[in-house]
Amino acid sequence: MHNERINLDLGEERTCGLTSYSIPIGPTHPALKEPIRFSFDIEGERIVGVDIQPGFAHRGIEYMGMRRNLIQTLYLSERICGICSISHPLTLVQAVEAAAAIEVPPRAQTIRTIIGEVERIHSHLLWAGVGAHELGFDTLLHLTWNVREKVMDLLEQLTGNRVDYAIPIYGGVRRDIPQEKAHLAYEALEYYNGILQQLIDAFLHDKSVEMRTRNIGVMTYDQAIALCAVGPTARASGVKKDVRQDWPYFSYADMDLHAITPEDFGTDAIGDVYDNIIVRLLEVAQSIKIIEHCLETMPSGELQSIPKVPALLAALKKAEGEGIGRHEAPRGEVFHYVRLEAGVEEPVVWKVKAPTYSNLMPWVPKFLGDEIADIPIIAASIDPCMCCMDRVHLVDSGDHGRRAILQKAELIKLSREKTRRVCG
Amino acid sequence: MKTDQVLEALQTALGESLLDAHVVERIVAGGDDRTTYPDLWVKVDRSALRDATAALLAAFVPHLTVISGDDLGETLLLNYHFTVGWGTHFGELCVTVQIGVPKSDFRVPTITDLVPGALTSEREKHEFYGVVFDGIPDDRNLFLPEGMTIHPWRRDEESQRETDTMVERLVKWETKDA
Repeated sequence: MHNERINLDLGEERTCGLTSYSIPIGPTHPALKEPIRFSFDIEGERIVGVDIQPGFAHRGIEYMGMRRNLIQTLYLSERICGICSISHPLTLVQAVEAAAAIEVPPRAQTIRTIIGEVERIHSHLLWAGVGAHELGFDTLLHLTWNVREKVMDLLEQLTGNRVDYAIPIYGGVRRDIPQEKAHLAYEALEYYNGILQQLIDAFLHDKSVEMRTRNIGVMTYDQAIALCAVGPTARASGVKKDVRQDWPYFSYADMDLHAITPEDFGTDAIGDVYDNIIVRLLEVAQSIKIIEHCLETMPSGELQSIPKVPALLAALKKAEGEGIGRHEAPRGEVFHYVRLEAGVEEPVVWKVKAPTYSNLMPWVPKFLGDEIADIPIIAASIDPCMCCMDRVHLVDSGDHGRRAILQKAELIKLSREKTRRVCG
Repeated sequence: MKTDQVLEALQTALGESLLDAHVVERIVAGGDDRTTYPDLWVKVDRSALRDATAALLAAFVPHLTVISGDDLGETLLLNYHFTVGWGTHFGELCVTVQIGVPKSDFRVPTITDLVPGALTSEREKHEFYGVVFDGIPDDRNLFLPEGMTIHPWRRDEESQRETDTMVERLVKWETKDA
């Protein structure tokens, strides 16, 4: 493959035969926090083609879930993602509640909303730190992650855990946020209200950050629509799509929310990495307001409509129907579909759709035309989560002329055997 | 988004190919209110899938969330989970378009030329169920390794046996030192 024309930025266009190279990056690479493989076609420094190969962290979670009872599946769903760990259970409970016609008390809806928003603050701050690190601003990484610790502490104080909070249950929540704990949340919100402007200044009013992110990794509005992008990735391109605004659920049904786009920062949406930073930082401010609202309007009442687990399991076993659940996770829309059959404890069908699943294809226009050095920040810009999207790592091998599948532990055995062989 | 608007657009475009339509009311109990919101489920003939997609595209700006599958034995049920009316306050409607695909003729027309973002979902259904999407621009495995011919989400006896054998091997290896 040859490129016929190249602009050497010398005031004139020169024609030369520039050889195109293919550069594989991943599945493991210093710029990637999780396994995925990109094959880039490169002309000079410029990316002219990209092929994305996920699946290296596919754990067969849906297969496992369809062989466990619904309560076991709920806890399994919390292990799909270790960062936004509540997003999948919050979505699964909605799907099952819709299929089984289980109502949820208002207080439980509000508590679900609060934990979901507290998680958004930690996830967006985590992403901002990763973004700074990819750009080489490790001081900013350490500042951001230090600031994030406050919200991790709050999660631990409210739920008992920093990750995998085990809060949602079908028909409600497992833990209350009593009045005596509300002050912890107010303290954290006051802290973030005070420090957020400092973070916005550090990211959005810094010339170096702007130079490395403005007009880099661009996806236009039309591309975002056509490729079904979700979350901050879509909103950075000006697509005002946010499940919390569009499709009422939980306590969002009582709020007047709007999808955050770069226009809220006073700039036109370009859809580049810089716009992704704008959207996520402004969404931290939005989450603070949502949590404040929820704390002030917290309804009294029950936490669960079916408090006893054996009764809940019995009700679920009788249920027949299908349902969908949706939640605006920090990375975008999480979607679950379940079908239940009477007399069967397991979900007969369970389909999980994570935000990165929808944002795979939007990666392509974001990479094209940019340089090799931009790959890490563009890859990070959609805030990818492979473990969410992939859900048995299997590798193909030859077996007496027949194709066979090797699994992880077998590969480890082969690897150790080779080590012993080559080391004598 | 009014459910009637979407139904009318689909009825006009599909006629008798629209086999069934029903609304499911979803209860949302917020802080001080208890309201229901509709979700629309429609079943269309397989041959009308592209017309249904085109009708949604002509009248709205649909978003394809994902395609889910349900192996019913002789037939695979594919659920195309669209949403329309996004971008407006509580104006979004989930429209699930269901089609049955008989295993004796395991083919579905692609919609990737109409909705390019459908490619990820079509490739996933192709590898996990073995269903063929006619006209799909790229039918390589996406999440499963290249050349893997087991379809883990199919419920027929042979697929189940192959998948279960694969999982049993993994469990055996994982627990042998325990």
